[in-house]
Parts: sequence; C-alpha cells; structure tokens
Amino acid sequence: MNAVLLALVAVTPIAIGATAAAFAMRYISVSAIEGMTRQPDIAPQLFTAMLIGMALVEALCIYTLVVTLVIAGRI
Amino acid sequence: MEGAAVDTGGIIVVVNSALVGAALVATGWWLAHKPLSASDPSPRQNAGEAILDFFVGKARGVSRGPKYERLMGTVTPFLATLFLFIFVSNLFAILPLPVINRPPTSHFSVTLTLAIIAVSGTILIGALAHGPLKAAKHLVWPNPLQWISEITDVLSLSLRLFGNIAGEYMTLLLVVAVVPFGIPLILHVLGLIPVFVQAFVFTLLTASFLAAAVGEQEAESAETTAESAETSPEASTESASRDSEIRPRFSHRGEGVQS
Repeated sequence: MNAVLLALVAVTPIAIGATAAAFAMRYISVSAIEGMTRQPDIAPQLFTAMLIGMALVEALCIYTLVVTLVIAGRI
Repeated sequence: MEGAAVDTGGIIVVVNSALVGAALVATGWWLAHKPLSASDPSPRQNAGEAILDFFVGKARGVSRGPKYERLMGTVTPFLATLFLFIFVSNLFAILPLPVINRPPTSHFSVTLTLAIIAVSGTILIGALAHGPLKAAKHLVWPNPLQWISEITDVLSLSLRLFGNIAGEYMTLLLVVAVVPFGIPLILHVLGLIPVFVQAFVFTLLTASFLAAAVGEQEAESAETTAESAETSPEASTESASRDSEIRPRFSHRGEGVQS
C-alpha cells in the first residue's frame, strides 16, 4: 500500500510539470517561428533567444523530474 | 553506506570522464600539431582554427571594451573547455557498449562539479576584470542576498544538465531492455538534439553570467547581452566572412544595450 502511494506521489509532479512545460514551450516556439517568418534576417538571433527560453522552461520540468527520481528511489 | 557496496556507476563515470578529458587533450594536440602556417594552412590546422573561431566569437560577444580585450585569453578557453567537455560527455551514450557507455554528465556529481567550476570561474574572471574587492562587493551589493543567486545558479545549471542527460539515458536503457534492436536507433538520432542543445545552453548561460560579472552594465541587461553575443549554432561550420557580416549587427545591439 505504501509503495503504491509513493509511486503515485512520485508520478504526479512529472505529469503536471511536463504538461505545463509543454504549454509554455508551445507558446515559445510559436512566437519564435512567427518572428522568424516575419523577419528571416534576424532568425539566428531569434533561434538563440528561443533556445534560452526553452532551456529555462525545461529546467522547471527537469526539477520535477528530479523530485520524481528522488521519490522513486525510496520505493 | 555499507563497506561492501561499491558504486559501479560512479566508477564508470569517473573512468569515462577521464577518457573524455584524454580524448579532448589528444585531439587538441593533434589539431595544433606543427607545422602551422598562416599562408598555407593544412586541413588539420583549418579544422582547429574553425573550432577556435567559434569560441572566440562566443567570448567576444560576452562584453566589449579595451578592459575586456585582455581577458579574452581567459574567457575563450574557459567557455571552450566547458562546451567541449559537456558535448563529448553527452555523446558517450551513442557508443554501442551495453553498460559502460554511461555519459559522465548523467551523474549528478559531475554536473555539480561543472556548475561550481562555471560559477566560481565567473566570479574569478569578474575579480580579474574589476579587482577582488569589487567582485566581492558584487555578492552583497546592491542586494545583500545576491550571493544566494550564485548558489541557485549552480543548482539550476547542474540540475538542468543532469536531468536532461540522465533522463535521456534512462529512456534509452528502458527501451533497449524492451526492444533491443532497431527502435533504439531512432532514440539515438533524436538524442543528438539534446546532446548539442544542453552543452550549448550551459555555455550560453555561463556566458550570460560572465556578461553580468564583467560588464559595466547592471545584471538585468546581461541576458540581452548574451543573446546578442551568440551567433547561431550553424555559425561554427560557416566561414569567417559570414561571421564578419553578422558582427556589425550584433555590435549595434550591444551598444544599444549599454547606452
């Protein structure tokens, strides 16, 4: 029973975190692609900015993954 | 921990990081092997210079000014070492060896070490630029809790790299355990994207911390400076002419930020 509960607790953060990060990344990539198609000139700059933004969003998702791994290690 | 328990993963990681370091040193020595010539470079020298040019471009974008120019010799190897070590370490998982292909960066000790090196190196270079007193003052002024942000920088850098690479490697292991043939190839090819992006992002963020520590401007414009500093990833393969064509536009933005 305890193991099942722990497994549920471990899975919940990564599920919520990944969903939220997916929405945020969708917004970032849509805006970046829009900007790139409007101004192909500055596409390299936009690409770099997009990478930074994605990395920062992804970090939040990774934190939840780490929490999940820590809890999963206790099962 | 019990005395009998041996951390095999840790041993593999240590050996692998030593291998990565040895491979990088050997490749660098091989690329820089004499005779070097300015008028008639050999293909080997050309390849080495292309790699060097990529990092010089990155380091040049961090900050500007005569004060910074004499730091270029410190900043360029700093960023280049971080990038190359992380990149080659991340690539370890594509080796077709069952257990010993664990990438060093999928162990938290390695990424934590790298992040501590990055952040303390940033502080040291800031001290080289402005003197130790001003660098120390930067930790507690204007915000007395500024030093906490250095610690969170270490945490976020290390956790991001560790989570990405370890997660990728774990997915690979799980898939290989279920389908040992064919499907892992797709994962390997897709895995090349985070391999490059994570090494790039680590260097990019270190460069932006450097810009905050070295530049005269305040920390809030550091992010913008780093963005304008970076050329695209494709720039590594392109010629210097394209680079010089991009440079003026970047310098424009940089000046706009500083003023």
